[in-house]
Amino acid sequence: MERRLWQHLDWPLLLAVMALTCVGLATIYSVTWNLATGAPGSEFWRQAYAVPVGLVALIACVLVDYRTLAQRSPFFYVAMILALVAVMVFGVEAKGSRRWMSLGVGSLQPSEFARLALALILAMVYGDARRGARSMGELMVGALVLAPAFILIFLQPDLGTASMLLPVYFGIAYVAGLRMRWVVGAVVVAAMLSPVVWAYGLQDYQKDRVRTFLDPYKDEKGKGYQQIQARVTVGSGGMLGKGFKQGTQGAYRFLPEGHNDFVFAVLAEEQGFVGVITVLGLYLFVIWRSLEAARLARDRVGAFLVVGLVSWFLCQVVYNITMQAGLVPVKGLTLPLMSYGGSSLVATLAGFGLILNVRMRRFTN
Amino acid sequence: MVSPGASGAFGDRQSTESRLIGLRAISLVLFVFLAVAFWVLQVLQYAEHRERAERNHTRTLPLLAPRGVLFDRHGEVLVQSRRSFRIAIVREQAPDVLASIRRLAAITHADEAHMLAILQRRKSDPIFRPIAVIEHATDAQVAAVVAQQLELPEVVVEQVPTRTYPEGGLAAHLFGYVGEVQPSQLLRAEFAGLSQGAIVGQAGVEQVYNTLLMGTDGNRFVNVDSRGREVEELQRQEPVDGQRVQLTIDADMQRALEEAFRADGYNGAAAFIDPATGEVLALTSLPAYDPNDFAAGISSSVWQALNADPLRPLGNRLIQGLYMPGSTFKIVMAIAALEEGIITPDSVIGCRGSGVFYGRSFKCWNTKGHGAMTLRHALEQSCNVFFYTLGERMNIDTINKWAAKLGLVGKTGIDLPQENASFMPSTEWAARTRSDGRWYPGETISVAIGQGAVTVSPMAMAMMMATVGNGGTLQTPHLVKAVDRGQGKGWEPVPPPNPRSTFVMAPDHLAAVREGLWMAVNTPMGTATRRGKIDGKDVSGKTGTAQVISNDNKAAAKAAARAAGRNPAVFDDHGWFVFFAPRDKPEVAGVVFTEHSEHGYLSAPIAKHVMETYFAKKEGRPLPVYQSPAAPVKSVVGPVIAGAPAQGGGR
Repeated sequence: MERRLWQHLDWPLLLAVMALTCVGLATIYSVTWNLATGAPGSEFWRQAYAVPVGLVALIACVLVDYRTLAQRSPFFYVAMILALVAVMVFGVEAKGSRRWMSLGVGSLQPSEFARLALALILAMVYGDARRGARSMGELMVGALVLAPAFILIFLQPDLGTASMLLPVYFGIAYVAGLRMRWVVGAVVVAAMLSPVVWAYGLQDYQKDRVRTFLDPYKDEKGKGYQQIQARVTVGSGGMLGKGFKQGTQGAYRFLPEGHNDFVFAVLAEEQGFVGVITVLGLYLFVIWRSLEAARLARDRVGAFLVVGLVSWFLCQVVYNITMQAGLVPVKGLTLPLMSYGGSSLVATLAGFGLILNVRMRRFTN
Repeated sequence: MVSPGASGAFGDRQSTESRLIGLRAISLVLFVFLAVAFWVLQVLQYAEHRERAERNHTRTLPLLAPRGVLFDRHGEVLVQSRRSFRIAIVREQAPDVLASIRRLAAITHADEAHMLAILQRRKSDPIFRPIAVIEHATDAQVAAVVAQQLELPEVVVEQVPTRTYPEGGLAAHLFGYVGEVQPSQLLRAEFAGLSQGAIVGQAGVEQVYNTLLMGTDGNRFVNVDSRGREVEELQRQEPVDGQRVQLTIDADMQRALEEAFRADGYNGAAAFIDPATGEVLALTSLPAYDPNDFAAGISSSVWQALNADPLRPLGNRLIQGLYMPGSTFKIVMAIAALEEGIITPDSVIGCRGSGVFYGRSFKCWNTKGHGAMTLRHALEQSCNVFFYTLGERMNIDTINKWAAKLGLVGKTGIDLPQENASFMPSTEWAARTRSDGRWYPGETISVAIGQGAVTVSPMAMAMMMATVGNGGTLQTPHLVKAVDRGQGKGWEPVPPPNPRSTFVMAPDHLAAVREGLWMAVNTPMGTATRRGKIDGKDVSGKTGTAQVISNDNKAAAKAAARAAGRNPAVFDDHGWFVFFAPRDKPEVAGVVFTEHSEHGYLSAPIAKHVMETYFAKKEGRPLPVYQSPAAPVKSVVGPVIAGAPAQGGGR
């Protein structure tokens, strides 16, 4: 690769991404620390091994011109659909859903990679069009592309990950020129339909979840437990936090999933509001810096690719962190870059590889 | 930051850029919202959340302090604390407490209803505090629980200190027993700071000296995880053992006393006192209970049986039973008459088998008459007419005054709970309580031989003999000699309580009374029929009988009982023997009271055996073995106190 390209690599963005990855790793180290053995838990080591794998994926995604990748996107998309079908058939079942493929050395969660393929193909679909997605027909094309992946992941079942494909689609559609009155109209219709959805569309357990969210103290020991303990975990951190490896809520499992979905709460507990603001700042920096890449992109394919990935990133980060504060219902959604999960980390780093790719090649033809 | 046409080369750049700005704005708003939300949680609501988190993971677990060890006066261990196991349940860890209890009952064969009752009683305790449902678990129960620990994480085995008393209920009424503090007791100042389930003394020395014996429980402050498992110990506050207490009791005398009672088959009470100090060397009340039953958390069936037993084993006859003193009261009459100048030691009064006082005939037990006699022989042979005559010459208030100086009025003040006051009538009492307000002089004649309205506790009788033994000082009986407060300070003597009163008896009066009492025990004519005699030790004493029913009605009552198929022995008299030894410089004084033994002299062998033990120990000789003179088993049920005053009673 040309030397000139390396000069255009967005080092501050890469550094911020790696900083968040390291903060996540350190928090997992702390929360899985075993007093008896004096060592971190196995989750830490597995996450640590995923980092170099993710870096390799990132570099691979930087090296090949994103336009080449976009042109090959139908191939990636079909491969992804096949992988999701394979999971349905051969996948490992855990906690009532089939999300993982066993790979001998470890396991792979194909749904984490779906958004990459989706962003690439949607960027190509809308980017290559002469005009933006301004008509209903053009909008429907994207929706048709989205549907198979969404349905396959939804059936695993993994509503959370499936839902997080929607921002990829809507983000790209939005910058591609989606008419604002449709957006407003959709919101109004959704608001009007919500009582109907409540009455007919939701299963009882889903209604329970919403009710629990609205009043977690009604079932303090049961369904409301995580939400309450998340708030206690965060709140007890105070301004400066309890200190590294000094947390109690996560370490003693009063808040379950302290290394995973609730890693941010553990960070808030141990590093306090100061740590929270620092990490929030890093995430905001990553998002703004990535959007800057979209603005600088040489073509619409690049811009849309970045926007699709950033939209997903923004939505999942915000939902997860809002969940730590107990302000949205608890959903099995990880915090990108920080939560435990090899597939998620590798896919996310690969995504940032694509974003770096777009910015780096803004001057090339 | 966003300048139109900066770089890039695609159409609609303008519109795309404005929408990118929109995305940035949305993300900024969302992150500001998050920052505010965390500010509220972490800064504004910090205290509340921190407290909640602390409550989550910190536990204060008690380290129970063992109660203080009780020693006898020579350092022999009498009561100690050993470790035992108890099985407790932590309700916080139990998804279904009822199911856990059912499971626990199944594997330990413990009483499910009993465990549920305990939980019900403690239901307001903090949910994380272990509640002991099986006290003193057997090894098999502990093993069963440990084996099922994974399935029953809410059940924990705790090690606790437990009281161990001598076997066979030795000195039960002295030691008393321990038990859970009652909710009503928690309100008292002495139990301030205790929580429900704490073990405190509920009777005897355990109750009176509870504050000394109890010690201070320690605490362990630990971190627990969400399953309640202990992760680490943060801090430890060691328990402070209860103080070691040295009693005035002599263990060998105590054992000798109860062995003799049991060999003779009597119920009753007895006390042995050092007359110089008021220290109690041995005391008993029989039947008794086994304090070990209480230490193990008494079962309701045992408790009900103890309460329902007509022999009332929970009552301490020594200090709670009130009986007519009978002829033992003649000692009071003798001292009163001498000190009031009514007679001299050599005054002679004649007995012809009966006498007429206030127009009524009063019989002597020896209807043939004792003839002319001095005080010495009157005490030796327990002549009624001699003492009727003294009663005729003194009024009831004078007798009351001397009875009080000798300890027969009010409580002895012994450091045991729930003592009853001994009672002597007086004109003031008659004026206060009787409808005609009068005391009849004829009643004084009955009182002169210890019958009628006078009722005393055996303990008071022991103190009367101690007072005669030391020449007039009414000591306060007490049970504690020294206390070891710990911290390596060793034994600190406990100062004896002040005497209740003192008078100095004229030496010739004292000598006459002592000689009369010596003769009662040591001469063939003496009423103790030489049964209390110890060669070379000059045991001096007096017998007496406490009537359960008047002699006039006794035969009829016994016949009725026999006809009804009940034991007529319940109407048999109780036997007193009061004593001190040696005569001229008494070292031990006391009382032996045997229920339904009919004759005071049958109490004497028990007293003799304990005193022989005392002297043998003092002189380094082997301890004597008790030879029961007879075996008239008289463990019979009957009223403790008879009301009917009568005449012509015994010796």
